[in-house]
Amino acid sequence: MLKIDNLHVSIEGKQIIKGLNLTINKGEVHALMGPNGSGKSTLSYVLSGKEGYEIDKGAIEYNGKNLLDLDVDERANSGLFLAFQYPMEIPGVQTSFFLKTAINSKRKFLGLPEVDALEFAKLIRSQAEDLGISSEMLKRDLNVNYSGGEKKKQEILQMSILKPDMAILDETDSGLDIDALRIVSEGVNKLRSEQNSFLVITHYQRLLNYIKPDYVHIIADGRIVKSGDFTLALELEEKGYEDISKIAS
Amino acid sequence: MNTAVKLDSSMDISNYSEKVLLNNPFENFKLENYKYAQLHKNISSDVSLEHYEIDLSSISSIKNLELSDALDIDLHSYLNKWNYKNTDSYFRVNSISERSSIKIDLDLFEEEILHLDLSLFKENIQINKVNELQKTIIINSSNFSDHIPRSIILNLSKNANLNVIHYSISNSKSFLYFEINQQNNSNVKFITFQSDNIHTRNEFFSSLEENCSLDLYGLNIHNHGVNDNYSFIQHMKPSSQSREVFKSIVNNGAVTNFQGKIYVDPVAQKTDGYQMSRSLILDNDSKANNKPELEIYADDVKCSHGSTVSKLNQDQVYYFKSRGINEDQALKILQKAFLVETLEAIENSQIKEYSYNLLEMRL
Repeated sequence: MLKIDNLHVSIEGKQIIKGLNLTINKGEVHALMGPNGSGKSTLSYVLSGKEGYEIDKGAIEYNGKNLLDLDVDERANSGLFLAFQYPMEIPGVQTSFFLKTAINSKRKFLGLPEVDALEFAKLIRSQAEDLGISSEMLKRDLNVNYSGGEKKKQEILQMSILKPDMAILDETDSGLDIDALRIVSEGVNKLRSEQNSFLVITHYQRLLNYIKPDYVHIIADGRIVKSGDFTLALELEEKGYEDISKIAS
Repeated sequence: MNTAVKLDSSMDISNYSEKVLLNNPFENFKLENYKYAQLHKNISSDVSLEHYEIDLSSISSIKNLELSDALDIDLHSYLNKWNYKNTDSYFRVNSISERSSIKIDLDLFEEEILHLDLSLFKENIQINKVNELQKTIIINSSNFSDHIPRSIILNLSKNANLNVIHYSISNSKSFLYFEINQQNNSNVKFITFQSDNIHTRNEFFSSLEENCSLDLYGLNIHNHGVNDNYSFIQHMKPSSQSREVFKSIVNNGAVTNFQGKIYVDPVAQKTDGYQMSRSLILDNDSKANNKPELEIYADDVKCSHGSTVSKLNQDQVYYFKSRGINEDQALKILQKAFLVETLEAIENSQIKEYSYNLLEMRL
C-alpha cells in the first residue's frame, strides 16, 4: 500500500530525514517511535504533502502511484489521512459544515453524488456519539475553544467519516487523559480492517496497549534504526531511546 | 497644512461653509481624518463596473420610498447645531452646502421594511424614527459616480428602534456621510455591505444619549481603488453601549482604510464601547490601513478596541486540503468565515439570505 524508499528530506537546507525505508502492506498497523527531533512529524507532513519540505532523494509509492506527484487534497481523496498532532482552529466554520464539505469532496473525487442531508446527519451523529462528541459540539466552530482531548477526538471523527485506506496518527495520544485515550483508541480499532493500514506515531508504549501494532519501528536521526514486533515497544519503555539507538548503531 | 475649521456660535453659517470649502478636502489630503482616503486623487481604474440591480422581490412587507414620500427641509441651520467635539466632517458641510435636503418619517408607513434607493434622489436625506416599533430600512447606494458628498441623517427619538442595511455596490465614486443621533433608550443596528467599488468613502458619525445601543458592522470585499470607512462614535450620556466591527478582504491591488474613534464624554459613565477592525490581504499589491482610536474622559467605562491586518493563514488552507477540500473551495470558505460575523448581525432572515447570496457571488 505504502512504500517509502531511501527518502531524504530537508527543510531550508537542513537535512531531517536521511535515508528512510518503510513498507506498509494492506491491513497492517505499524508503530513509529522515536525521540524528539528524530523526524517523525516531518515524515507525516511529507506523506500528507505539506509545503516547505524538500525531497532531496528517494521515492514514495502509494497504491501503485507516485505519491509525490499528488497535491495534498488529491492524496486525501485517494485515501490518505493524517490525524494531526496540533489540529488547526478554524473560526467561523461550523464543525458539521466542515465534515460535510470534506465528505462531499471525497465523493466528488470518486464520481459519487453529494451525500444526502439526512443520511449525513445520521452518520455523523452515530460516529460522534461513539467518540463522546456531543451534537452541540458539532455546531461549534471547528476546533475553536476545544480542549486538547476534544481536538484529538475531532481528528478521529473526521477519520471515521472519511474512512481512509492509509491513516497516519501523529502523536494522537499526546495530551490525552486515560479515558480519552481509550475512546480514541476504540475509534481507531473500529476502523481497523484487512482493507486499511495505519502508521501510528507515538512516544509512548501506552497507546500501543490499546492499538496493538503488527510492527514497531524506531526512528533516530532521520532513519529507521530498528524494527520488530510489539516486544520492541516494551523493550524501549524499559531501556529508553538512548540505549536502543546505541545498540542499533 | 490647513487645520480643521471649528464652528463657533458667532460665526455666520455661509461664512463657515465658505471657510470649510476653502480647506477643500479634495485638495488637501494631509488632514488626519482624510489622509488615507486620497480624495485629492481622481482614481481611475481599467475595471468596467457591472451595473448592480438590487432585487428585493423575495422580501415581504417592503415599501419602496419615493420622492413623494419626502418633505423638503433646510438643513443649513443644522450645521450650527453641530456639537460633536474635536472632530469635523467636511462631507457634512460640503453635502449640505451643495445639495438641497428632504426628510422622511418612517413611522408614516405600515410596512416593516423600507427601501431607499439613493439613485432616485439627489438630495441629502434626513430620516426620522419616533416610535418604538421596530423597522428596517435598506439604503441602497449603488452604481454612483458622483464626487459631491451626500448626507444621510438618522434621528431616533426616545425608545425608538431601527435596523439599517446599507448596500454600496459598483460605485465608481461614492462619498457618503451617515449621521446617527440617538436619544435615550434607542437602539440601532447598522450593517454596511460594500463591494465592487472603485473609490468610496463612508463616514459614520454617531451620538448616543443615555442607555442606548449602537451596533455598527461593516463588510468590505472585492473592491478596486481606494475604499475608506471613517467612524466617530460619541457617548454623551451614561450607560450606553456601542459595538463596531469592520471586516475587509482586499485584493486587485486595492486599498482599504478604516479609521474609527470612540469618544466618551466626562459625564458618560458606565459606557461600554467595543471596536474591532480586521483586514485580510489576498495578494501582494493590495494594502490595508486600520487606525483604531479611543478618547475617554470618564473614569468608569469599559472600552476596548482591536485591529488586525493579515494574509490568509496557509496552515488553515493546508488543513482543509488535508481533508480533501481543494484550494479554491478552501479559500472561499475561509474568506466567508472571516466575514460571517458581519452578516450574522442581520436580523431579518430574508435580508440575511439575500446578503449571503450577494457575498457568495463575490467569493
